[in-house]
Amino acid sequence: MDLLLQILINGVLLGGLYAVMALGLALVWGVLNIVNLAHGAFIMLGAYLSWHLYTYLGIDPFLGLPITAVVMFAFGYAMQRGLLNLVVKAPMFNTLLITFGLEVVLTYLAQLAFSADFRTINPSYAGNSIQLGMVVLPLARLLAFGIAIILTLAMWLFLLHTRLGRAIRATAQNLVAARLYGVEPRHLYAMTFGIGIGLAGAAGGLYGTVSQINPYIGATLTAKSFAIAIIGGLDNPLGVIVGGLFLGIIESLAVLYIGATFADVASFGVLVLVLIVRPSGLLGKTA
Amino acid sequence: MTMSGLISKKSLIAAASATVLAFAANPAAAKDIVLGASVQLTGPVANTGRYYRDAYELAVEKINAAGGVKVGNEKRKLVLKIYDNQSDVNLSVRQYTQLVSQDKVDLLLGPFASNFALADSAVSEKYKIPMVQGGGASDQIFARKFKYIFGTLAPASNYFASTIEMMKGLKPAPKSVALLYADDSFDVSVGDGTRPKLKAAGFNIVMDERYSTNATDFNSLLSQIRSKNVDAVLVAGHETEILNFIRQAKSLTVAPKMYSFTVGVPSEDFRKALGKDANYAFGMTAWLPSADLKDRWFGDAAKFEAEYKAKYNYEPDYHAASGTADVEALAQAIENAGSTDPAKVRDALAKVKFDSIYGPIAFAANGQIDLPQTVIQVQGDKLVAIHGTKGAMNPAKYPMPAWNAR
Repeated sequence: MDLLLQILINGVLLGGLYAVMALGLALVWGVLNIVNLAHGAFIMLGAYLSWHLYTYLGIDPFLGLPITAVVMFAFGYAMQRGLLNLVVKAPMFNTLLITFGLEVVLTYLAQLAFSADFRTINPSYAGNSIQLGMVVLPLARLLAFGIAIILTLAMWLFLLHTRLGRAIRATAQNLVAARLYGVEPRHLYAMTFGIGIGLAGAAGGLYGTVSQINPYIGATLTAKSFAIAIIGGLDNPLGVIVGGLFLGIIESLAVLYIGATFADVASFGVLVLVLIVRPSGLLGKTA
Repeated sequence: MTMSGLISKKSLIAAASATVLAFAANPAAAKDIVLGASVQLTGPVANTGRYYRDAYELAVEKINAAGGVKVGNEKRKLVLKIYDNQSDVNLSVRQYTQLVSQDKVDLLLGPFASNFALADSAVSEKYKIPMVQGGGASDQIFARKFKYIFGTLAPASNYFASTIEMMKGLKPAPKSVALLYADDSFDVSVGDGTRPKLKAAGFNIVMDERYSTNATDFNSLLSQIRSKNVDAVLVAGHETEILNFIRQAKSLTVAPKMYSFTVGVPSEDFRKALGKDANYAFGMTAWLPSADLKDRWFGDAAKFEAEYKAKYNYEPDYHAASGTADVEALAQAIENAGSTDPAKVRDALAKVKFDSIYGPIAFAANGQIDLPQTVIQVQGDKLVAIHGTKGAMNPAKYPMPAWNAR
């Protein structure tokens, strides 16, 4: 019983981390209709940025998250204005190609710049935990989970209640009508992409405190984020939280009951099931 | 007139050189001996792949500085031709095919990792060009009765043998054991070899779990380890997984009496990434840079270590030593055969016997070396040899203290 409870908690905390990773991908996908295959590479860059801030400037990885997010936001904004905007109206295949290319370039530039050595963001409290009866809550994961919830709620409120957020949603729904109301799509797309990449950067900082960083972590993180975005649905940031938690719990239970090799089988099996039963995601509008 | 003269001259030269090529017993006679390899210089395992490129280059440099390799009556230099396979098995197979069919290299050196060596050795076998590889330990590579593959890593199935020997002598004795291994060729071989040894030694295997390569989350497995109160945890996996495993063990306060890992512990980079958390981890290595390991080219292993570190600015581990031994084995076999003819070199390799910085080199009938693993442990910021062929070497720090008691 204690074991099951612990495993469920592990799953929930893992899911929180998954959710932050997928948040930016889902936003960009939902608004710009770009499946950003370089998303994981941006998470990786965010992780390296946090690592540098911590290692060379002594900035705590959690307190440094806003810096990482802002720098990555600026990078994302520039990337969209300078590069992705060229293909935003092109067929899906072109955007897939360009983001795939971006992924390869960023990954190999990261190897040139940072080498293939493993890095960890390891402040003294990173391995600490809170003991509640028989259950252990790892501190870093708990913090990551809290930040995930805060970011998602902030995102949700931002999209619902701010002018910019409404403009973003309007553009996603109907570009022509949004333009008639004075929305400037180029700036708006770049803002959205920037926010998505800023979120990816923050996710990278969190990831580095619980896992290890090397230039090649991106591809798997993209795949995970992709699955979560589909499971949760693209309409609503809360869907991403649901998708992340769902996936985290399923994977943890699969390891316990079926075997550790089946974690991925279970998560992608769920993905397929969701696509069949609820193609717009668990919290998506039914078509 | 001039035109036809030119053409006929050209075709004459072409015909003449073709004849020379066709009639020469060795097309590269009096030329450099080219050793080809495809290595992971980029991609997820570039971190270990670089040991092989660096080792190959250093060994070739050293052998050439000593005048090269004696073939019959002449001394010939070694030249490397290395491709980057981007950590992609399929690409490495294509590159080896290109090395033998288009680049016409004389002999082959190996890639890193068992799954690569397993696939690439099909190329060396098909073209009958011997490959000496120091990166694949899986027993599978040598179970196919291939004649052209030789390996300088000790069999994967024996990786934990010395650890189990050591465990029998620990007080208080560990009783329950968890055996975790990744689902790739090398680690499955480790798991299959370790299981019967544990049973024979009387340990109780309470967890026997295979996990996905590149898994990043070990919380579920770790929670089970805690809930079953496992004494000893043996993990066969990759460095990235083991890094995550140790970090997550700490955050879930899982501290068995001991844990040991097939890879990572000997690598400086791995210990640096973990910092103090690497403490108490056991591992194994078939190589320690001891001055007792004499070598014709480097003098001894300690000198090799110093030279390697001075040239590349990081410590060599057993991968680097194994890669160096591969080049030396080919050089030695060419001299013994008195030829670079692939079949003759192959026969010479099968009989080769010499001392190297890596240890005594000799291949069993299946092509694999047999070297014992020395148990090592991280103690503070030092790597300490704990248990070797002759029994205990230094006291182990055992049992591992709880994470909050460090």
